[in-house]
Amino acid sequence: MVNSESTNFLYPFIDGEERDAGSLLTDLSASAKAKARESAALQQSTLAECAGQVLACSTAMAERFASGGRMYCFGNGGSSTDAATFTALFAQPVTGRALGAVNLAADMSVVTALGNDVGFELVFSRQLIAHATARDIAVAFSTSGNSADLITALAEAHRRGLMTIGFAGYGGGEMANSDAVDFCFVVRSQSIHRIQESQALLGYQLWATTQQCLAAPSMSTGGTR
Amino acid sequence: MTAHTVDADELAARETGLDQTAGITADILDHGLAEDLAVASLSIARRFHAGATMWCVSPRWEPHAHHMAVEFVHPVIVGKRALPALALTDSNVVAQARVSVRPGDLVIAVAAADDAAVLDLMRRVPAWGATSVWIGSGDRPATGAADHVLWIEDPNPLAPATGRFVLMYHLLWELTHVCFEHPGLLVEADEQCTEQVCITCSDEGRPAEVILPADGVFGQALVRTATGQEYIDVTLVAPVQANDLVLVHAGAALTKLGDQPSW
Repeated sequence: MVNSESTNFLYPFIDGEERDAGSLLTDLSASAKAKARESAALQQSTLAECAGQVLACSTAMAERFASGGRMYCFGNGGSSTDAATFTALFAQPVTGRALGAVNLAADMSVVTALGNDVGFELVFSRQLIAHATARDIAVAFSTSGNSADLITALAEAHRRGLMTIGFAGYGGGEMANSDAVDFCFVVRSQSIHRIQESQALLGYQLWATTQQCLAAPSMSTGGTR
Repeated sequence: MTAHTVDADELAARETGLDQTAGITADILDHGLAEDLAVASLSIARRFHAGATMWCVSPRWEPHAHHMAVEFVHPVIVGKRALPALALTDSNVVAQARVSVRPGDLVIAVAAADDAAVLDLMRRVPAWGATSVWIGSGDRPATGAADHVLWIEDPNPLAPATGRFVLMYHLLWELTHVCFEHPGLLVEADEQCTEQVCITCSDEGRPAEVILPADGVFGQALVRTATGQEYIDVTLVAPVQANDLVLVHAGAALTKLGDQPSW
């Protein structure tokens, strides 16, 4: 262990004597700009890499919605809220056609009942068993691609004939290598924050392209549920 | 992208036929937003350091309220402090905030400038003694509508779903934790009454919210202000009702504060 006093010169303000916030504020705004540029570049490269997948996935989603399919979305923590934003985009869009979409983490009584009674790994898969039909869509949001509750739910969805979509980061994790996942979108970054920011844009593009597909004449029949 | 050098990724993305205007642009924090984020982050860090709870609100995009709360309370980077942050998502968010917010707390909203509930919330925050942060896009709120306004001037009503707002509160979290590495800057400037013009002793009016209206006893009403609860004289503005906002000076309400923010 190095004597902390001998390294204090590396951290001029370690003793709490710093009083002028000017240089900190300059550093903070420079850091914010650098991170924003990093996020913008990652969104661009992610879209470029995933564009073909986005189009194919949206076409398949539109077909399912047009034939009465419903979408179930789920994730953990911040990814759960991203799943909820994605759900709201489809179910209550500012423009375009409202489509049946459900966020499986929204009902605290169901999530806590399942977590307490059968274990957290099953909180989403047990709901899919109850609700889903073979014409539906399951969408899992993860950054690691390894969350056990999501992997279990995607496997259950696949067994039941649902179309399955996974969002992951890093190298894609288990989700990227699973036969149970029809479309896996991997944001190639090591930062959970930057991964979530790019996943949001991928989700937005999936929604926008699905709307375009549904507006095309060949898709004008069929209901939303 | 001001200089507009087109790199290979952007070119490839353009050819996909996807909407290229939707996401985060490299220049998104230009025009002062990066500086606004820096100042807001230091303010947030100082408030947390002094014991604040952060109350997160987003009536139209509720998941953003939850995401901000989980971001601060359960950090993605192991070893970072868990900070007290909670989402307020009741249908009457002002009533929920009224019983939750204490002096010194933080109120952070993600909402459009014309969101009626958030406008009402933000104009009450000064009377509750809290610090307000307002994240949004499109037309800006009026000057002074919140202590910190972090705004993306993009008219796309779907901007909240493109990762831009997620970026904003991710940055707030990241920068706030950088501030914690500067303990000397976490103590706010001394607000003791050492000058003749401190806010407590000056002629400045203070916003207050009525808790119990005058009950016939000498025109007194119980109100809350940034410094706590007190009885004030409301004869000048009578009758008052619970939750009315008034301006207090020297123990008396001088005027009612209307629906429009006046500070």
